[in-house]
Amino acid sequence: MSRRAAFWLVLAVVVAVIWTFLPMYWTVKYAFMTKTEIARFPPMLYPHAPNLASFFNIFGFDYTADNGTVYKASGQARQIILGIRNSVLVAVIVTAVTTLVVVPLAYVFARLEFPFKGKLLAAILLSVSLPPVSTLIPFYTLYVQLGLTGTLIGLIIVTLTITIPIVAWMLIGFFRNLPPVELLARVDGFSRFYVLTRIIVPMARSGILVAAVIAFLFSWNEYVYAQILVTGSNAVTLPAAMSGFLFQVPEPSQLAASLLLSLLPPFVIAFFLQKHIAEMHLA
Amino acid sequence: MAHPDNSAPAPHRRTEVSNLSFALIISIPVLVFLLIVVAYPLAYAFYLSFNEIRFFGGYSADWVGLTNYANVLYDPSFWSSLGRTLRFTVETVILTLAIGLGLALILKHLPPGWRWLRALIILPWAVSPYGAGIFFAYLGRGQTGIGTSVAAALGSDQTFNLISANFVMEYLALGAAWNMAPLVAFFLLANMLTTPPRLYDLAKIDQMSHFETFWHVTLPPLRFTIFVFSCITTVLAMKTFDYIFTETQGGPGSASAVLTYTLYKISFVNLDLGYGAAMSFFLLAVILGSTGILYFIWGRKEERQ
Repeated sequence: MSRRAAFWLVLAVVVAVIWTFLPMYWTVKYAFMTKTEIARFPPMLYPHAPNLASFFNIFGFDYTADNGTVYKASGQARQIILGIRNSVLVAVIVTAVTTLVVVPLAYVFARLEFPFKGKLLAAILLSVSLPPVSTLIPFYTLYVQLGLTGTLIGLIIVTLTITIPIVAWMLIGFFRNLPPVELLARVDGFSRFYVLTRIIVPMARSGILVAAVIAFLFSWNEYVYAQILVTGSNAVTLPAAMSGFLFQVPEPSQLAASLLLSLLPPFVIAFFLQKHIAEMHLA
Repeated sequence: MAHPDNSAPAPHRRTEVSNLSFALIISIPVLVFLLIVVAYPLAYAFYLSFNEIRFFGGYSADWVGLTNYANVLYDPSFWSSLGRTLRFTVETVILTLAIGLGLALILKHLPPGWRWLRALIILPWAVSPYGAGIFFAYLGRGQTGIGTSVAAALGSDQTFNLISANFVMEYLALGAAWNMAPLVAFFLLANMLTTPPRLYDLAKIDQMSHFETFWHVTLPPLRFTIFVFSCITTVLAMKTFDYIFTETQGGPGSASAVLTYTLYKISFVNLDLGYGAAMSFFLLAVILGSTGILYFIWGRKEERQ
């Protein structure tokens, strides 16, 4: 690489890294600052005396700073702790169910010809296009009647309605691009289920992994339904619990601390996933 | 070729199922579930849209026929919200694809020792829309934001608010692109890596400029992926609610009240459920219509190639 090319590449990389991290940094720094520091004008560019008070507070512990100031435990602590537990539960169950259900579905739609296929595909596409704001009221009314508001099972069902169509849509494209080995296997006399479970699934590993991760992220990051269906209940999820720091009594530091925690699982996953995304090709 | 290994049980003839019945066995449970979860809310919203729902003085639903639909068309806030949704969507799609393409080009040219940067560039994609909304709210607001910090560094004592009534939609689109572009970049990168390096050597022999090489060699294999992501980003941008809810709450004033936000206010703040339902069908029509148009003027051309 020529000197000049290297210069431009380094410059581009620096810009890309700043673009990636600056918006996150700007809020995340609040997690280590006090209320007075955050209110300072002009805004502080970095925490001058970083402290972990907010991380203690959101889990229900008081925090005494070196200078004797006591930062009181947050009244939302119970919701945050419940929220973490519930978010993990919902995301794991939704991911498992979505993957189990969508892999065979996507395979069937990508590889077999059967009547009504076009119409069924259109139905899947339609459900991808439905905005949550317009399905919220019907779900809410139904859930009130069935007693499903404020329950984990209710939230899981509603989250599946988001993940299944979108993941199916992505995987159908992925399966279409796999080489048509199952015809050979079928000529060899293997059954359809054998072909699917022993040949297609191992071949499509990276696509399925990406699909599972997308299901996990959609579930972990879901906020609209959770806000209406489970806020304030024992089935609250982390995003819904966190929004207490945003709207009722704004607590930027505790909001930043819980937001930072909520980002860790997706970050770890995305970090390891990017190799597999590189193997995904759209049909 | 992936072939079952020798230790696999010997294949034996079974009563084989046809394509249709195999497809049905596998997909019926899922399709029934989807049918319920898609058809039920649609049917219920459809029912609501023909009624005037009142909560004050006891719940009542009065059949009003097409009145709600007609009212939407005469409602100036519907048209202004629709305008904001379209503006946000067009800007988000263009920014997402442009930034995604830029990031992909950078990632492609990274020397082997720097590949770990790929794992960092993907991270914004893992941020939830409501999280991205919070990030860009603090980043843009006059009191806390970067505009004021930069101004202060240059010796000013004014606040500079990036979330202004005139450009709030552009600022929102920038944040939405920040959130979505890394995924686009990774799919484009996957496509780029399948372009044979030989083509770049040929381009050099032909003495193509950097831009010509990009235009004639790099871009053509990416066109289908770019089309697919235009569709995905269009649908996501039009559906966006939580991102705008946490970032601007439709403000300043109602400068960022997109259609989903206006719908939320009608249904959940004013509790005008019938009217909200009618308006939500206009939104659905706009979403389906835009992807349909994208497909007919662009997608069919890509598929033929």
